[in-house]
Amino acid sequence: MRRISAYFISLLIFLPAGNLIAQDTVLFPLKLRAGIDIAGPGIYFSDRNNLSLEGYFSFDKSEKMAYVLEAGYLNYKFSQYNYDYTSKGVFARLGVDFNLLKPEISRGKYWAGIGLRYGISLFNSETPSFQHDNYWGTVTSSIPPKKAMGHFIEVAPGVKTEIFRNFSIGWTIRLKLLISGGGGRDLRPIYFPGYGNGGKRTAAGISYFITWNIPFKTKTVITKPEVVEEETEETGQETNQ
Amino acid sequence: MKKPGNFFSAMLIVLGSTVMISCTPEACFEETNAYLKATFYNNTSKVTDTPDSLTLIGLNKTDRIYNKESGVQPALFPLDASSESCTFIIKINNVTDTIQFIYSSYPHLISKECGYTFYHKLDTFYLSRNAFYVYKSSNNITTANEENIRIFY
Repeated sequence: MRRISAYFISLLIFLPAGNLIAQDTVLFPLKLRAGIDIAGPGIYFSDRNNLSLEGYFSFDKSEKMAYVLEAGYLNYKFSQYNYDYTSKGVFARLGVDFNLLKPEISRGKYWAGIGLRYGISLFNSETPSFQHDNYWGTVTSSIPPKKAMGHFIEVAPGVKTEIFRNFSIGWTIRLKLLISGGGGRDLRPIYFPGYGNGGKRTAAGISYFITWNIPFKTKTVITKPEVVEEETEETGQETNQ
Repeated sequence: MKKPGNFFSAMLIVLGSTVMISCTPEACFEETNAYLKATFYNNTSKVTDTPDSLTLIGLNKTDRIYNKESGVQPALFPLDASSESCTFIIKINNVTDTIQFIYSSYPHLISKECGYTFYHKLDTFYLSRNAFYVYKSSNNITTANEENIRIFY
């Protein structure tokens, strides 16, 4: 009887212990980042009519979210059989990046996630000449230089990885939705900084960034323990990275 | 994010698709002329009535826009963007008249692939013989499928 009581008391002690789980923690470095896009200059070497320069700053609010400011310059020229076009100006995008990786996987070195941006563009566009053919013949005309302001929003999924201490590379796909291109209904910009083809409601683009990371604070992130099966799977993926 | 591998695979597919879409040259498939569109009506019954024969030619031009054609509904009148007016000789079922359109023109971007066209604002029109009755329904002459005048014959 004394032995049975001992077992029973032991069981009572361990029952509430089932709900007490030891917490795992990860030391996560929060960083400031400064990066430049190398896709734009790369394209310029193959197409001298399209110079696009772009850079960004980001600031980690937490292990999951960062504030981002991107800015750039575009000098674009386009010619085809029936018109010539130029567009030159600057743009800025403001938004946030969300890291979808778990802190224990990311550890401040890897980023895979999605960004949301609002973009504004100030530019000067001109159509030095265009021609139009119909039954009465060919009409040649031009549209003088005009300053305009464009607005757009972006969804920007991407990946980044640290290749050296505090240096990362990564790319971002840009899926853009035009709010306004300036120029009204008739003279929408053919191409404008930060967005691209202003004649279309949606546009897509790619940036390839080289980034300098500056850790400014280390945050202790509490991670939840996982079941053994999931730990094995994640350990395997971590090894692959 | 149980399996980051799935995320990376999805990202690669999106990346590949984006590159393909961005680098694919596109051709112009849109309408590049803004025609004045005229619908034909029977002057007695006041309902739409397609002429048995339609001939249309620009004044001082040799090329005919329509040459004794049947089944034309609506008729498309090309306007001269280098001028503020142009005149057509129109023959509907052996009845001939001349019609002069007064308008203004302004450039309009169709698309990057197609370039620019001219849209017009129809001011007024004149018939030399008043062989037909013409009613203006819209003064916006664009590439959209919108009726501009009605010709009662």
